[in-house]
Parts: sequence; structure tokens; C-alpha cells
Amino acid sequence: MKRLPVLAVALAAVAALARGAPADPLRLHADALATTASPAGLLVLDASGAAQPGLSAQAVVWVAGNTGTDRMQGDDARGDVLVIAVDAHTADGTAGARVGRFVSTLGALRPEHVDGAAVRLRLPYRVDVEAVGGVPVLPGLMTRRSWDWLAGGRIARRFGDWGSAGIAYEQVRTDGRLVTEEVAADVGASLGRHDDVGARAAYDVATPGLAEVSLSASHRTEHLRAEIYASHLAASHRLPATSLFSVIGDVPSQRAGAVLTWVAAPRLDLTADAGARRVDADYAPELTARARLKLDDRGASALSAELRRSGVGNQAWTGARGAARIALGHALWASTELELVRPDDPRGRGSLWPWALAALSWERGDWQAATAIEASASPEYRSRVDALFQLSMRWGTP
Amino acid sequence: MTVRNVAIGLALCGLAACAGVLGLTRSGPRAFPHRSHVVSGVSCTRCHPGLDASSAELHLPDDASCTAAGCHARPHDTRPCLTCHVAPTALAQLAEARAHLKFDHRRHLDGTKGNCMRCHTGVADGDDHMRPAMATCFACHADDARRDARTCDACHKDLADEGTLPATHLAHDGDWLREHGTRAASSGDVCQSCHKPAYCAECHGKTAASLPATQRFADPFAASVHRAGFAARHSLEARSSPGACTTCHSPDRCVACHTARGVAGGSIGNPHPPGWVGLTASLNLHGREARRDPAACASCHGGAGETLCVQCHAVGGVGGNPHPPGWSSRQPMSAMPCRMCHPVGSR
Repeated sequence: MKRLPVLAVALAAVAALARGAPADPLRLHADALATTASPAGLLVLDASGAAQPGLSAQAVVWVAGNTGTDRMQGDDARGDVLVIAVDAHTADGTAGARVGRFVSTLGALRPEHVDGAAVRLRLPYRVDVEAVGGVPVLPGLMTRRSWDWLAGGRIARRFGDWGSAGIAYEQVRTDGRLVTEEVAADVGASLGRHDDVGARAAYDVATPGLAEVSLSASHRTEHLRAEIYASHLAASHRLPATSLFSVIGDVPSQRAGAVLTWVAAPRLDLTADAGARRVDADYAPELTARARLKLDDRGASALSAELRRSGVGNQAWTGARGAARIALGHALWASTELELVRPDDPRGRGSLWPWALAALSWERGDWQAATAIEASASPEYRSRVDALFQLSMRWGTP
Repeated sequence: MTVRNVAIGLALCGLAACAGVLGLTRSGPRAFPHRSHVVSGVSCTRCHPGLDASSAELHLPDDASCTAAGCHARPHDTRPCLTCHVAPTALAQLAEARAHLKFDHRRHLDGTKGNCMRCHTGVADGDDHMRPAMATCFACHADDARRDARTCDACHKDLADEGTLPATHLAHDGDWLREHGTRAASSGDVCQSCHKPAYCAECHGKTAASLPATQRFADPFAASVHRAGFAARHSLEARSSPGACTTCHSPDRCVACHTARGVAGGSIGNPHPPGWVGLTASLNLHGREARRDPAACASCHGGAGETLCVQCHAVGGVGGNPHPPGWSSRQPMSAMPCRMCHPVGSR
């Protein structure tokens, strides 16, 4: 609970910045979640606002209480800052900066949660330059971070409003030791109004090898969307270069497939995803079929059904899932989900893992409330029933 | 009559019975027949008055404009025309556009020479989709510097609050959860037009308390990688996609959670099957499994636990060289982890 003052200060800083905001209202959002699963409680506070055009801020802090069998490391209450960031940009958008705690996304590089600063400049000839520097975030308001730092940058070229391509570089050090050094390239383009392509690749410089590649190309018409995709991921390059397990080789997993989404009727969407996955020498199909039926024009009430086959080797499983949400009127909704998973190799963990949830929610104005009963059987529990409660409120000060 | 004809007949009967549910037939309000009015030569401003005067109004036609000049002099119903002759969502969309866009019809009358269909191209296709696509705006505003700088607030008052989704390149359709990383890689600045800093951090942040879908448990259609019974099948998914978990989780997350729940760590014995470590290839499964998913090994044996590997795989050890052919590293031999197996002076 000693951390609560820190969280309060984080929230107050944003509130102070946004006080009297003429350009954008101060917005506060509070979410309270309680579950009997641990039992546990979670309170999330989100504040955002703009002091003036081109200067805005956001902070999200949370505090959780966990008193049951699932408690972690003996903590009886935990809290942390998810984000506290101030954004500024020039009126013409040619320069922008962000300072604080945020997730840095530099092109095709992995997102990094960082305490630091990022800048972006738009140069002539549609060239963009981004740079980020700071200290990688550690959970739990930890402060032991001598010689931990992260630095990276990206240079990109935009092509009209239809595409862009960029190259990024990032280096992360822990205790002064190199843990990540990657270069990455990205490209994305919208080819007319119907076709999109995107690709990204990251190369591990510290332990030379291709860390990750993904490709996607899609074509859409009014009632049909088709996409082909492929990905390549080498787990050894995801580990810190200081880990002994980063030296045992590059055995990537790969996945490729195609997705077809068809608006079969004004209220009926059908989706089929057929692909294959390869892990080392094992190949396996990845199949998903999904249907979603809206029960009214706005989709406030809807039903969905899904069948899925996934996994490689003795990790394969077959599953079915159904979901429904029904508007009851008077701002009330009832929803339910049922999932059944059948592992190919149960290994004594139960041949069928069912999971179900039935919820009732209410939303009016700035208030939201929901309650649910969740029931499941899994490798961990022969049977388990939990109750969940949620209450949300928004405040807006014009 | 053949079985095939019976089947076709039953299918057609079924389709007819479900036509209302599928939205193929509509009993409620219908989209206003803009196209037939335009084809009949009715000018837009005849029904939508005040386009050249005020920018704050919705410019909706009233019943008087429908009955004026003998157009619909004798209405077939006493209720207001827009009770039935408007798409269920049209008025809400119109009000939303007025609330969120910095748009003034007056300023566009000269440029379009009063031809509304220069922008409202949807009229030619039918009666829905009256709001012009953003690409239509850029047909004229192609050289706008603010557009070039991707400063959305030149036209949008507050994109995040508006909730409008992109229509083309970053359209959030299909399996967006899987696609978003590939698409966002080259368009991060566009993403930030709508998404505030916390949006990425809710999933990718090291200090995230829970996933958004956990807090929105009452919405069964909320997309999430950990939806529904993920907790039960997470080991299957993790082993089928090695390294994917480390997109958001640190490798030691597995053992921290398992230890806390008493399903691993010191609470149970050796979790590995017989033949995990042996002196012959048939009795030595751990090497292949470690190469497939080194993150899984690191989740328990990372840090101080790495000395277990070093006992056999250090230079000259019985475990032999664990590196694959052609493997290389830029780390100096004196750095971690090289020095664990390569004593000073060895290669």
C-alpha cells in the first residue's frame, strides 16, 4: 500500500496538466473489477486531457488486492503505473515528442515498454525520422535498474497516402550488458481501394539470425475479404542475448494460410481460416470456421459459432465456441459464452475442457455495470465456479 | 420428384423462413430513396435547405419540404416522413458526423459548383452510405500540407472520441488481432491518431494489470488472445507457437505463476518424461525440445538455473557442443553467456 501515493501523484500530475483545458476535456475513467477466483479486486484509473492544442497527457494507474490461493509472492496489494505520458506536437505536425512511461513501437521491432522519451520529425521529401531512448520498464515499481537502457530509431519514407517503408534499429542493455540488438524493415501499402499489403522483418544482430518475419496481403470487396498471410518466428532470438538459451540454435516456427470473410447476408458474416503451422519437423493444419449472425441492424444482439483445429504434434486440440449477446431493453444486456476444448493427448488432464460464462450488464450514460458467473474444468481444476463483478464510470469536464 | 429437388425446395423454404433474420427482407424503416429522387431531377437543396447558410444544422428535410410544390402533396400516412423513410442508423450517423467533423457545406458549394454528388458519390450506387469516404475528400485535397503531415485534427475534432474506423489500408476487419502488428509496423503514426498511449500498453505493457477483455468480460465478441478458456489451453498454444508468448511476457513469467499456484517449482518433482537426458540419441530428448522452444526452458532454468546446462555442455564436457552448425555471435567470449562454458583462453 506504500505505492498508492506514487499512483496518486501520477494521476494528479495529469489532472493538473489538463486543468482548465480549453482544447480537450479532462477525462477520467474508473474501472473496478472484482472476482471470487482468487478472490481479487482491481481498480484502474485512467485520466487524459489536453492543456492546449498540441499538448496532451494520459495516465493509467491501477491497484489490485489479492487475498486468495492465487496470491503472488506474498503481496497483499499491488499497484503500478501502466502509462503516464505527455505528448506534444507542432501545429503543422512536423515535429512531435512524447515523454514519460509508454510503449515504444519502432516499425517492425518488438514493442518495448519504456520510461523515457520519443521524438518524431517529418522531414522534406516525405521522410520521417523517429528516435526513442530510456529505461526498460520493470513491473512492480522496481527501481533496481543500474545501467539498464534502451535506444533506437527509425527512418521511413511515405509514398503519398498509400504507403510507407522504413528501417529501424534498437539496442537494449541490462546492467550494461547487451541483451537485444535488432535491425528491422517494414513496408505497407494500400493498392487502390481494395488491396492492402504489409510486411515486416526483424534481424537479430547480437546473435545473427532472422528473428521474425510476417507478411499479409488482402483484397476486399463490399461482401468479401480475402487475406493470405505468413509468419516466421525464431524463439531463440526472442530471448535476451545474455541467456544461455539464446545460443542453442535457430529453429523457427512458421505459419501460413488464407482467410476468407464473406458477408453472406446483411446480418450474417462467415469466416474461414485455413492454414498450416510448422514447428521444427512437425507440420499441422490450422483451421477455423466462424459464423456471426446479428439479430438487429445495429448488431446490438448477435450470435456466433466457431469451430477450430489448432496445435502441433501432441499439443493439437479441437475446439468449439458459441457466444450470444441479447439486448433486453432498459439498457440491459445478457450475454453468454461456451467453449469446449478436446486435446488430442489428454495425458490424464481430462479429455474435455469446458468453459462457460453467463453475464448480465447494464449501461446508461457514463455508468456501466456487469456481473457474471464463470464455470470451467481444466487441467488445473476438476471444476471451478467463479463470480465476477465490474463497475465503470466516466467523468468528462468540458 | 427427386430427392435433389426436395432438398433444394427445403433449402429455399428455409431461406425464405430465415430471410427476415438474415436481414434479406426488412419490415422496419428503409433507407431514404436518394437515388430515385436524383434520377427524377429533384435537386438536393430542394429537400436539404440551408446548406449555403449555416454549418451547425443537420439540414434534414421536414415534412413541409416533402409536400411542397406538389411533390408528395397527399402523404399516405399521418406520421412524419422520416419515421419510416430513413435507414435505422442514418440519423445517428449524420448527427455523429456533425459532432465530430470540422466540415462546412458552405465552403464547398463553390468548389463543387453546387453539385452535391461530386462528394456524395454513394447516391449513384444506392440509398445507403451517404457519407463520403475520406478518399473522396483527398481527390480534391491531395496537396493539403496537413494531410501530408497526417494531422487528422485538420478535419476531425477528436478521432479517439469519434470511434470511426479506417476504411482501407488499416481497416480493422478480418483477423485484426493477428494482422495488427504487420499493418501497424509501417503506420504507427496513423495508429496514434486515434489510439492514446495506454492502448498499446494495455496488452504490451510490462505493468498491465489485466487484459482489456478481462475487464470487459460481459462482451463475448471482444477480441483477445486470451479469450474464453485460454487458461486451460495455454500450454498447448504456447508449445505450438514457440516464442509467441514473449511478445508480451518475460520468459520467467511462466515459472513465477506456476510456482505461485503450486503447479511447478519446488512443489512437484521433475516434470520431464523418461529419456529426457541420456547418453544416447534415443534417450536424450531435451536437446531437440530445447531447440524447438528455448523460451520454455528459460522459464524455469533461466538465470542461476543455467548452471545445470553448463555442467554437461561446457567446453570439454560430456554434453558436447550445443551450438548448431554455422552458429555465430557478436558477443565477446568474456561476456555472458559465453564465459559460462568458454573459460578464458578456450574457444
